[in-house]
Amino acid sequence: MDRNDSFREFMAVHQQSLMRTAYLLTGDAHLAEDLLQSVLLKVLSRWPKLVDVTSPQAYARKALVNQHISWRRRRTKAAELPSAEPPDRRYSIEDPTIIRIMMLRALAQLPPKQRTVIVLRYYEDLTEHETAKLLNCSIGTVKSQAHHALARLRVLAPELAPKFAEMEDLEGARR
Amino acid sequence: MTWLRDVLDDVADTAPPVDLTERTIGIRKRRRLRTTSITAAAAVIAIALGVTAAARLQPAQPRPAIAPRTVNDLPARGVKPLSHAFMTYCRPEHGEASAGCVHGWQVVTRSGTTYRVAQALSDFTPGLRPSPLAISRDGRKIAYYDTKAGTFAVRDLASGKVLTAPTKVPMGWLGRIVHLLLSDDGRFLAFTSAARLKNSAMLFDLHKRISRPLPNGWNPIGLSPDGDTITLAEYSPKTRLQTITRLWQTSPAGNTTTVDVAGNTTVGALGPDGHSIVALEFVKVGSAGCMRMGADLMHLDRKAGKVLRRVPVRDLSMTANVVLLRGWTGPHEIMALAKPFVCRDRDNTPASSLDPPDVPFTAYAVNVETGRARKLTTFTAQDSLNLVLPGFPGNP
Repeated sequence: MDRNDSFREFMAVHQQSLMRTAYLLTGDAHLAEDLLQSVLLKVLSRWPKLVDVTSPQAYARKALVNQHISWRRRRTKAAELPSAEPPDRRYSIEDPTIIRIMMLRALAQLPPKQRTVIVLRYYEDLTEHETAKLLNCSIGTVKSQAHHALARLRVLAPELAPKFAEMEDLEGARR
Repeated sequence: MTWLRDVLDDVADTAPPVDLTERTIGIRKRRRLRTTSITAAAAVIAIALGVTAAARLQPAQPRPAIAPRTVNDLPARGVKPLSHAFMTYCRPEHGEASAGCVHGWQVVTRSGTTYRVAQALSDFTPGLRPSPLAISRDGRKIAYYDTKAGTFAVRDLASGKVLTAPTKVPMGWLGRIVHLLLSDDGRFLAFTSAARLKNSAMLFDLHKRISRPLPNGWNPIGLSPDGDTITLAEYSPKTRLQTITRLWQTSPAGNTTTVDVAGNTTVGALGPDGHSIVALEFVKVGSAGCMRMGADLMHLDRKAGKVLRRVPVRDLSMTANVVLLRGWTGPHEIMALAKPFVCRDRDNTPASSLDPPDVPFTAYAVNVETGRARKLTTFTAQDSLNLVLPGFPGNP
């Protein structure tokens, strides 16, 4: 099996999962695809080392996060908000479509690192320790970034604030 | 945190399905073709290319050996139709050129074979812009500045037949930005440059071996099949369109129409119907004064310069990309090249590099009636001027 075949196997299993993460990080389908494409080129160029030494998926995820933060820093001034908005008519905040739109809009307004922490902690389910390692920062930074990000999300999407409060109460009770 | 996890999962569910496997392997393969990494290989390439200046940039110490790869020169004949051409700089202001960098124009066939066009002038100082290269709409002919002939040449890739322009074009006429437009049959070639020298822009009839002057500083965007009418665009000091008819008649009085176009716009090629022109508007973004394109495709009246209607572009983010219009891919579709929009603070702008990194350019076919964009493929190049697709070579 040559390197391309093993890369194809890796892609068959992990490509869409990486695309989902890229989409959550960028909030834009085209940007997500560009981000993933650029990361996959890095992955493929290091492929012989990656398959022997470590997990290619972990490398790809780390590269995705780093590339995203680096791109977003440069693009902050031109940051784009998703064009979809909640409808003018009355709507329920239990409606998954409405929640999705609100969340996308709120996430788009977070600084890149805060958004990344949210994605890694609450979507990828990484621990604070794993998140800190991936972002090359301290656990304290991860905690504070997550705290600020959740507080900011409550402000940016006030309709979802009760849900956030409920969620954090549950989290507190579990501790 | 189950609720947030579920919401994020729900958002992630809307990510479109992608299949980047073969594209990634293809891009990697093309890059590796351009990248060899030993001094010996670099020297061999440099000798083959005659690029002695590049050789002087190589360090004295030998580098670790990696299997050398080379890019073959364009064969004398039998080359299949092209998908695109790209120009690579290997002369950085500081440090050394990346290992195995192949300086100059390279053409890529639709099947992915890459050839170096050794006979084409690559770049010229002090402009530091690529010398132009154009590909006919069917991908079967290329036009370039032939250094040996001292003028422009059009080469039929299958037969290897080369037609040179009837008039010598001194390199001093090329200026900073040069535009070429090749007719579909390869018979007519328009050349204009930003060097505002009198009579230094021309239209060549390569069959009859005659030429006629064109207004300089304009960008040719359309040529009628019989070579009798040309449409040009100008961007400085303002956007204007000019149509010149009866190009080869002895008394051309009254054959020129010039109109102003409102706003700061950039136009694509003249449509295949001979009169449609679509444009994009520049918009300023952020305090750094960065420019990208507006959200609408504008249909222009070629004779009055007015905006006839605006069509919002869909399925192509106009805010996340800088979008450049190229030639038409069908009666209702125009090609648009999109590269990620990056706005740097002016104070933060890095020094210009003569060996900039490759950036992705994604080609879309945009329906001019509906605005819907259809993704075609992704190229990589150092700059938009360094990437040439068949047909209209485009604006900077």
